[in-house]
Amino acid sequence: MSQTIAHSGPEAHAASAHHHELSFFHKYIWSEDHKTIAIQYLFASLFFLCIGGLLAMGVRYQLAFSGSPIPLIGTLLPKWLVTDAGAIQPQGYNGLVTMHATVMVFLVVMPLLVAVFGNFLIPLKIGAPDMAFPFFNALSFWLFFASGIILLSSFFVPTGFPAAGWTSYAPLSANGAYNGSQAGQSLWCVGIFVNGLASIAGAVNYITTIINMRAPGMKMFRLPLPVWALFITAILLLLAVPVLSAAAAMLFFDLNFGTSFFEANRYGQPLMWQHLFWFFGHPEVYILILPAMGLVSEMLAVFSRKPIFGYKAMVYAMAAIGVLGFIVWGHHMFVSGMNLMLSSAFSFSTMLIAVPSAIKTFNWLGTVWGGSIRFTTAMCFALAFVSMFVIGGLSGIYMASTPVDLFIHHTYFIVAQIHYVLFGGSLFGIFGAIYFWYPKMFGHMMNEFWGKVHFVLSFMFFNLTFFPMHNLGLNGMPRRIADPNLYDFLKSSQPLNIFVSLSAFGLGLSTIIFFVNFIYSMFKGPKAPRNPWNSTTLEWTLPSPPGHGNFPVTPTVYNGPYEYSVPGMDQDFLPQNQPAPETARVTVH
Amino acid sequence: MSFWRSTFARCGLVLAVFLAGLGTCWADPRTSNLWWMPENAVQGGVYIDQLIYFILFLTGGVFVITQIVYIFFIVKYRARKGVPATYTHGNNRLEIIWTAIPTAIFIGLWGYSNHLWWDVLHSTPPANSLQVGVAAYQFGFSFQYPGADGKLGKAEASFVSNDNMFGNDPSDPDAKDNFSSSVLEIPVNRPVHIRLDSKDVIHGFYIPQFRIYQDIVPGRMIDWVWFTPTKIGKFQLACSQLCGSGHYNMKADIEVVSEADFEKWYQEKAKAVQPQPGAKLTSVTETKDQ
Ligand code: HEM
Ligand SMILES: [Cu+2]
Ligand SMILES: [Cu+2]
Repeated sequence: MSQTIAHSGPEAHAASAHHHELSFFHKYIWSEDHKTIAIQYLFASLFFLCIGGLLAMGVRYQLAFSGSPIPLIGTLLPKWLVTDAGAIQPQGYNGLVTMHATVMVFLVVMPLLVAVFGNFLIPLKIGAPDMAFPFFNALSFWLFFASGIILLSSFFVPTGFPAAGWTSYAPLSANGAYNGSQAGQSLWCVGIFVNGLASIAGAVNYITTIINMRAPGMKMFRLPLPVWALFITAILLLLAVPVLSAAAAMLFFDLNFGTSFFEANRYGQPLMWQHLFWFFGHPEVYILILPAMGLVSEMLAVFSRKPIFGYKAMVYAMAAIGVLGFIVWGHHMFVSGMNLMLSSAFSFSTMLIAVPSAIKTFNWLGTVWGGSIRFTTAMCFALAFVSMFVIGGLSGIYMASTPVDLFIHHTYFIVAQIHYVLFGGSLFGIFGAIYFWYPKMFGHMMNEFWGKVHFVLSFMFFNLTFFPMHNLGLNGMPRRIADPNLYDFLKSSQPLNIFVSLSAFGLGLSTIIFFVNFIYSMFKGPKAPRNPWNSTTLEWTLPSPPGHGNFPVTPTVYNGPYEYSVPGMDQDFLPQNQPAPETARVTVH
Repeated sequence: MSFWRSTFARCGLVLAVFLAGLGTCWADPRTSNLWWMPENAVQGGVYIDQLIYFILFLTGGVFVITQIVYIFFIVKYRARKGVPATYTHGNNRLEIIWTAIPTAIFIGLWGYSNHLWWDVLHSTPPANSLQVGVAAYQFGFSFQYPGADGKLGKAEASFVSNDNMFGNDPSDPDAKDNFSSSVLEIPVNRPVHIRLDSKDVIHGFYIPQFRIYQDIVPGRMIDWVWFTPTKIGKFQLACSQLCGSGHYNMKADIEVVSEADFEKWYQEKAKAVQPQPGAKLTSVTETKDQ
């Protein structure tokens, strides 16, 4: 277990980096340096975040003001999306919902968490010069980028965006005559397939790197929690993503070559799509949250100036989530028409998987307890993550209970829950992590004041947008319908819909502050020192940004990752690569 | 620091607004129906509502307690000069406690839910149930009633076609006198047992006041849903599974009427059916009700 392998090359590599200057192409376009690839991923997925956000604005505009032309740009939009007057039409709305979710899941949160922080942090945190397979890593980015272009290019085909939901339930998705956008849906299949290749290439890299390339002394139980989280996530990716890729390929054949995997009228099995999709989809949910949990754990420890509470419990909880995550997919299918006995069983496993999340939450409370908390912007987002995740987790319990799920299954209650987990959870975690690691990535500090303005506004508008969606759902508002006014039982809740939309626009606008800060700081932000937050982990022992090849000398690791406020020391942190001074009273849990 | 104080105040304010919002859920229910569930209108729904309230109090309690503790910690343990952080890696006894208690609660909740799922919702429908066939298609619903003989007859998904939307077995004489309707007309206080099939894609059978949702899957006859309406009135059936460009407006009217009114309506409809040997069974096109 404790066997660690020092990579033989880093010294030589780092030294030679000064001699041969890389061409522009190899430095910025086809770079094989994990840090550059992380930054490429960062720019690309933030770009996609803007697109996904704009699509969400379209969705909310329609739900509040259905039938009114979109101001300014309405008449410029393509005809599959809007009427001649420039108002969103139902099929266009289905496309917006489908692409909003697809973009956010596959092009924003997944790459931000797994690819940006996976690439940037894993080698730096374990003391490695780069990823195990740098070529695959570069390939992964360009495959990812291509998948984004493929998915979004459906905007320009005459029938427009795929419109069967990001879950693409067959047989709607399997037949152009049913879904009205054969071309868009086919592009979706190809895009998802290519996106899967990128994920798989990344996952193989992370697993190999973490197993083989840890610096001497970096035992598995000395790995910082983000690395543990990414390690488990990579295993989930490797096992889950190929299933989706295969399913997408089958769907593509059904759509275009007359096969019949999923179409009932030709002896296919519609429910097979759901089983394949959710066999991927549930682990995917954890792929979208585990790395954020890891990043947040680290920020909480750093800014509480405390070791993480229950480090091993955190690791075991994540591992439990990883294992259980593969046997709960059926909770998305309680009402799908599958055998009712299966629903009982899946309900049981789902209740069990809530336990590790509860454990993590209590350990976060334990970490904050007795701390000496510094309220940096990164810490604010990390603290908010915990609260928002608690809300999303607790509202998840409603769905785990089969009879309650009967009532709220496809309503706005679910939409609220998704966003508490993915936005209040994952994206808040990501924002925090960007504020936290930005200095190391770009060598400049982000502006703290505007960071806090961004935090306060997005925290406020986030809750004002998404909390009332629980109420809309309880009111019976189904998700994915273009005009709630058409239903008698929804007329009374329309004021709430308008309120939610206005808050959503506020949320969208507040994100602009982040982007301005992000870009401005890159040029004008104060120079970042090596270790602005007085952290213990290895990346902070390097200059900001670290040079090509990372560590001039392979570091040796002496301590666990979060030795803060060790009694008997002058400074309140003990870096992983420094032996504890004699006076320090380090304890091991 | 002062910035921080004010930010705290703001976060606190937001939280207060929510708690107040939650409060209004109680103060302002049903009258405006802005915040809360529509009133339940079936027998089994009562149990679902009880379960929802049970979970609401459970999760609400956990939420409030954890947030209070959390915010208390955040305020109390803010960085102060000369007060170092506590150096600890955790506590195994605490880990065991906060693993065991949630596990027990979750398993208990599963027991409660599962009991309801089997014994109340998916028990065998009573013998006096009214049988209704429900066919879903892009983009509408159609309903089939047993006709004069009171028997819906056998049906199978493989028989479903444009001419036979309900998948009736052509060799079963019980189906010959079935009639169809575009409105789901049902008597109050009598169990209704429905049989769902779809002609094309997956649709949803969702009635919020009935606390019921079931997907309607092509290639499958789903026959385990039944309910007993307890309130006379008009409701709406909404398709709740994205099914294409017309999904946003795929709905049907439901009328729950007194037993007497229902008998009258039923007899009229049944009389209009002229069973002819060899004729097509119920056809897709039909006269719009009143
Ligand atoms: C300003 C921010 C956002 C707003 C206003 C917003 C709004 C919405 C709305 C209104 C829906 C429901 C559409 C419907 O059912 O008719 C939705 C669906 C969804 N959103 Fe967002 N969203 C935002 C950000 C995000 C983020 C950051 C994610 C992260 C992953 C995300 C993931 C999803 C997913 C997975 C769905 C499910 C779509 C479905 O019903 O299949 N959203 N969003
Ligand atoms: Cu799931
Ligand atoms: Cu529909």
